[in-house]
Amino acid sequence: MKTLSRENLNLWLDGLAAQQSLIAPHLEAQGVFYRPVQRAQEIAWEADRPALSAKEFLFPPSERLLKVEKRGPDIRLEVSPSAAPQAIFGLRPCDARGIRVMDAAFLETPPIDSQYASRRENTLLLGLACRSMGASCFCTIMGLAPDDPRDMDVMFTDRGPTLAVQALTPRGEALLAGLPIVEEPGEVEPASRREVGGLPTAEAWKESFGDARWAKHGERCLSCRLCAYVCPTCRCYDVRDEALPSPPGEAHFERLRAWDSCTREGYRLTAGGHNPRAAAGSRLRNRLLCKFVYYPHQYGPAACTGCGRCLDACPVNLDLLEIGGALQEAAQ
Amino acid sequence: MSISETMQSTARDLLISGQVQRVIGFEASPRGRVRPAIIDRPEEAERLVWSADCTHNLTVYLQRALNRDNGHASREPATPPARVAIVVKPCDSRAINVLLAEHQFSREQVFAIGMACEGIRQGAPASAPEATLQERCLRCRERVPVVHDVLLGEPPSALPEALPDEALAHVRGLPPAERAAFWLNQFDRCIRCYACRQTCPMCNCPTCLFEQEDALWVGMRIAPSEKRAFHLGRALHLAGRCVGCNECERVCPMGIPIGLLNRHLAETVESLYGHRAGMQAVLSPVTGMLSAEESAP
Amino acid sequence: MYEPKVIGFLCTWCSYTGADSAGTSRLKTPWNLRAVRVPCSGRVAPELILRAFDQGADGVLVLGCHIGECHYDSGNHRAAKRIPLLLSILEFAGMQPERLRLDWVSASEGDRYARIVSEFVDALRPLGPNTWRISGAAPRTGAAIGVPLPLVSGLSGGAPCP
Repeated sequence: MKTLSRENLNLWLDGLAAQQSLIAPHLEAQGVFYRPVQRAQEIAWEADRPALSAKEFLFPPSERLLKVEKRGPDIRLEVSPSAAPQAIFGLRPCDARGIRVMDAAFLETPPIDSQYASRRENTLLLGLACRSMGASCFCTIMGLAPDDPRDMDVMFTDRGPTLAVQALTPRGEALLAGLPIVEEPGEVEPASRREVGGLPTAEAWKESFGDARWAKHGERCLSCRLCAYVCPTCRCYDVRDEALPSPPGEAHFERLRAWDSCTREGYRLTAGGHNPRAAAGSRLRNRLLCKFVYYPHQYGPAACTGCGRCLDACPVNLDLLEIGGALQEAAQ
Repeated sequence: MSISETMQSTARDLLISGQVQRVIGFEASPRGRVRPAIIDRPEEAERLVWSADCTHNLTVYLQRALNRDNGHASREPATPPARVAIVVKPCDSRAINVLLAEHQFSREQVFAIGMACEGIRQGAPASAPEATLQERCLRCRERVPVVHDVLLGEPPSALPEALPDEALAHVRGLPPAERAAFWLNQFDRCIRCYACRQTCPMCNCPTCLFEQEDALWVGMRIAPSEKRAFHLGRALHLAGRCVGCNECERVCPMGIPIGLLNRHLAETVESLYGHRAGMQAVLSPVTGMLSAEESAP
Repeated sequence: MYEPKVIGFLCTWCSYTGADSAGTSRLKTPWNLRAVRVPCSGRVAPELILRAFDQGADGVLVLGCHIGECHYDSGNHRAAKRIPLLLSILEFAGMQPERLRLDWVSASEGDRYARIVSEFVDALRPLGPNTWRISGAAPRTGAAIGVPLPLVSGLSGGAPCP
């Protein structure tokens, strides 16, 4: 087992933070969030998984896609510059898997999203294993584990005075070269897991489309967007052109995109005024079927990593495990 | 009979007798939480509970339950019930008055099951048993709903000393530059999830001004300038209408003290017009009334 | 030398005509005010004023008909109710209150118009440019730039940020 002393890790992280943006779990007013930090001592080591996922560092809440300057008949387009290097340390396996799930749509299926691709290329994923599963975690149902290293460049496991280190990619290997890694006997202790039940199969979710209880499930949904915004894999966005201050005789505007969610009332509103998902239950159904049926059908992986944030965040305690369980019961 | 049992039998009787077709209340849910419950049948009444974790302002569901929400979230099929019963705490009941004054529904359509309230615990809807009361409850001067058709629970005979609004005083006391920096720091964390707006019973515009497609008032960026405009604008639209249930602040995932904005304006409206939202079914003198003549009682 | 940029919302029937009257009488009026003509001061939505500040206005002046003289009866009443509240929340959010003013100018009061605009601009000049505007998307940092609040529930639940 390869290990690194905590002191050396902190020194290394301080060095990383000096060269590029270092993002890590950080304690704030209402919990722990992934944030840029300047020094290793700002990292919240003892925390559960951060309240929001790390997707915002690859897929920001809003960004400019294009700037357009029109001068008479001439049109000049300016594409946003490529991303600065960044490293995300303390990344939980569920969040790293979330990034991989988004890769399936943004990177692996044409057309490639150039903004996402540029950020992804410039981001190091430095994972930290969870010691145990939190009260609302269910990553194991989604084929993950609290210490699953597969989606990282480097995986760290906190053992107190030292951390176990494992490089998973060539980039990870390159990072660790030159670090005072110590070879210790023994294996890394696996994280403790919890029995969390199960979820319906994709087929079973699909069959539930006509289930009248979706309306019941959705009746307390407030159609806010918390579940989608805290989720590591939800990636719907809205695009709009907004005017910029322009010199006389010219028209400048920018094309922006910003996070959106299918749970919003007007998400599916069509020109002419028809809203095929006017009822909250149909929007809830769409969101869950997108995760477990539509997304895997189109892109491969299920769009859920079992992080459990939606369970914690929902103000009215909508619980996809409960809904899935009810559907499984009905099926039997 | 425990108060939950009284509530259950009240709801059951209302549904059996046909006085109401729907009851909006609270139920226990997994992971020790409490959540809203909307029931239509007498046998579902046994799910209802009442506890110091019942934090939600259920009046947010009233228009939808009466199928009067412009089809936003109405349950299919669209057969509106004639009357809906709703469990309300004193703060929630004031929202009924505000919505009545704004003609969102009529008084006959609502049967208010009023709860004598001793306060809601922090950390609700799932709180540790030793948790203290929410700050808004420590400041509250009401123990009995202002609108109720039936009252459950024993209101206390004496009100404890009300907690002063220290946080509001603190922010007001900051010099302007520090105050501006404080709010920017708060709004910077906002992710425009709109949970605050969606949980508020008074935020019921078919299309929110701050989300219009043409971005006329506020752009779509999730950036400090836009977020500040949203929060200040929303507070303005709630001037004289906000009842101080503080659910907006509770649901915020980023811990933004949204309630401060609403409380500041509520105090300003009260000092200028002597108006407290929802104590009676009258319009806010600022957002509801059009001229000086209409302000006169 | 810093000169404040003032957006003036002038109502068609009174203050805009009053401004015109100041012009034809050759009264000296600061050039800092960019006039936006509206049908009535009651049309000036708080969001419009917010947007003016967000886009860099150093000051906003809303001028309507005197109370009792509004062309639409009660439009100026609405302005009289809304703008003090807007001022209250802007001040609470850290903007200097001198930057927003509501006043009444009738069609024949050219000299009053000139005096009010001069007073307003003179009061703004020493305040310097308005720092209200935030351009672009300010990056989020780990460090808190505000002041820690007293330990009341819901406002701080852990260690203060470094």
